[in-house]
Amino acid sequence: MDMLLNQYYLQIAVFVMVNAILGVSIYLTLSTGQLSLGNAGFMSIGAYTCAILTVKAGFPVYLAIPIGGIAASLMSIIIGFPALRLTGIYLAIATLGFGEVVRVIVLNLKITNGALGISGIPTLGTKISKMLSSFGLPQKFGGLSVQQTSTLLVLLILVLILVFLVFFCVRLNRSRVGRAFAAIKADESAAEAMGINTTYYKLLAFALGALIAGIAGGLSAHLTFFIGPKDFAYHRTVEILLYAVLGGSDLVFGPIVGALILTLLPELLRSASNYRLMIYGALLVTMMAFRPQGLISEETVRFWKSKLGRGSK
Amino acid sequence: MTLVLDQVSKSFGGLAALSNVSFKVTEGEIVGIIGPNGAGKTTLFNLITGIFPPTAGKITYQGKDLLGLRPYKVTELGLARTFQNIRLFGHLSPLDNVMVGAHCRTKAGVWKGLWRTPAQRKEEKATRERAQTLLKLVGVEEDIDSPASSLPYGQQRRLEIARALATEPEIILLDEPAAGMNENETDDLRLLIKKIQTMGKTVVLIEHDMNLVMNVCDRVMVINFGQMIAEGTPAEIQQNPLVIEAYLGREEG
Repeated sequence: MDMLLNQYYLQIAVFVMVNAILGVSIYLTLSTGQLSLGNAGFMSIGAYTCAILTVKAGFPVYLAIPIGGIAASLMSIIIGFPALRLTGIYLAIATLGFGEVVRVIVLNLKITNGALGISGIPTLGTKISKMLSSFGLPQKFGGLSVQQTSTLLVLLILVLILVFLVFFCVRLNRSRVGRAFAAIKADESAAEAMGINTTYYKLLAFALGALIAGIAGGLSAHLTFFIGPKDFAYHRTVEILLYAVLGGSDLVFGPIVGALILTLLPELLRSASNYRLMIYGALLVTMMAFRPQGLISEETVRFWKSKLGRGSK
Repeated sequence: MTLVLDQVSKSFGGLAALSNVSFKVTEGEIVGIIGPNGAGKTTLFNLITGIFPPTAGKITYQGKDLLGLRPYKVTELGLARTFQNIRLFGHLSPLDNVMVGAHCRTKAGVWKGLWRTPAQRKEEKATRERAQTLLKLVGVEEDIDSPASSLPYGQQRRLEIARALATEPEIILLDEPAAGMNENETDDLRLLIKKIQTMGKTVVLIEHDMNLVMNVCDRVMVINFGQMIAEGTPAEIQQNPLVIEAYLGREEG
C-alpha cells in the first residue's frame, strides 16, 4: 500500500489530471475546427490571477481558481473577436503570438514579480492537511501519513473536476450547441448557410476552452509553491497540442488519453533520459504517418461497438 | 411578391458575373433558372443568401432588405438553400445533419444542454421527430448510424434538401438537385419538388435537366453571360428563339 501510494506516484497522478484537464480545454476549441495555440497563455492568466489573489489579496483558494478561469475566459473573448476572423494556420500563429505576449507582459510587470515568479503559493495539499489536523486527525490514518491522505484528497478533487468536464463535453455533443460545433468543424460556410451564427459559436468554444485552461492554470499554481513565466512558455502550448495530436480530437477522451500517455512517458523513460526526446519525436512522427487522426477517433468507437456486439449506445 | 431582385449586378474584379438582373418570385410558385455553365446562376443564389454582396442593385424579401445580412440571418428570415457541390456535414449521421438544420428554430443553449432540462428534452424530442419526418419525406433511411458521406450520391442530394427544409424556409433554393441522378431518381425528385410546393413553400430551382425544369416549373428564367435573356412559362421558353439560340439550340445543333 505504501509502495503504491508513495508521494512520487501520487504527484505524477496529480500532474496527469491537470494535463488531462488541459487536454479537455484544447478539445473544446478544436471541436469547432479551430486550432488555437493560446492555451498556455490562458493557463498563465488563470495561474497568475489566482496566485496574486491568494498570495497578495488573501482570497480563499476555492474562490480564486474560478476567478482565474473567468479572467482567462474574458481575455479570450477580447482577443477572440479579431482573432477568430482568421482560420487554420493563421489563427494558430495569432494565438501563438498571444501566448508569447502574455509571457512577456508577465515577465515585465511588477505585480507578477517578473522573472522571479510568484513563490510561497499555498498549496492545496498543505491546505487540506492543515484542515485535516484541525479536525483532529491522527498522524497516521489507515496506514497513511497526513501528507498522503491530503494528496489523495487533492487527486480526488481533480478527478471530480475531470469527470465533470467529460460529462459536460459528452452532454454538449448530444445537444443543439454540440451539433452546431460539429457542423462548423465540418463546413463552416455550409453551417452558416444552415442558420448557425458561426462567429458566436466559435467564440463560445474559444471562451470555454480558455475558461478550462484558466482553471487548470489556477489549479497548477496551487499544486506547486511557485509559478514563473517560464512555466507557460511556448513549450507548454506544444505539449497541450500534442495531447490532442496523439490522442485524437474527435472525442473528448482522445486528448485525455494523450495527456495520460505524454505525462507518464517521460517518467517511464527516466532510465533512458538521454534518448527521451528522441523517442518522443519518433513516436509523434510515427503517429503522423500511420494514424494522423490520433489514437481514438469516431471510427475506433464504431469499430469497438460493432466488435462488442453493439452494446449500449 | 416575396423575393424581389432589382437591377442586381455582381462583378469579380473586371469580370461581370451578373449584370442588371431583375426578377420577382411569387409565393407558392416553382421558378426555374436555366442557362449554360458559367452563366451566373449559382452567383445569383450566393447573392440572395448573403454569401457575398452584390456590386449594385437591391434584394428584398417580404419588403425587408437582404443586403448586408450574414447568411445565417437570411436563413432565419426564411430562405434556405442546397449546394451545387454537395456540402453535407460528412462525419455526422443523416439524422444529425437534418437536426443541425433546425438550429435556428430552436433555442436550448449550453446550460440547458448540460443539465437536460425538461424544456431542452422536449425541444430535442420535437427536433428529432421533425427531422425523422423530413428524412421520410425525402426518402432517406432514418436510423442510419453511419456518416452522411457514406450515403449514395442521390441520397446525399436528397439529404441536403431535408436539411434545408429543417430550417423551416418559406423559399427553398435548390442548386442543381438532379445533377448526377439517373432518370428514375430525377423522376422521384420531380415528385418531391411538387410535394414541397404543396407544403406551401416557394421553390427556386437551378437545373440543367430540361425535362425536369419543363415538367415541374411554373415559370422559367434564362440567364446567359450574366444577363436575363428570357422569362416565361416552360412552353414560352421552349419557343423563344433567343433561348434556342443561346442554350437549347446548341443541343440540337
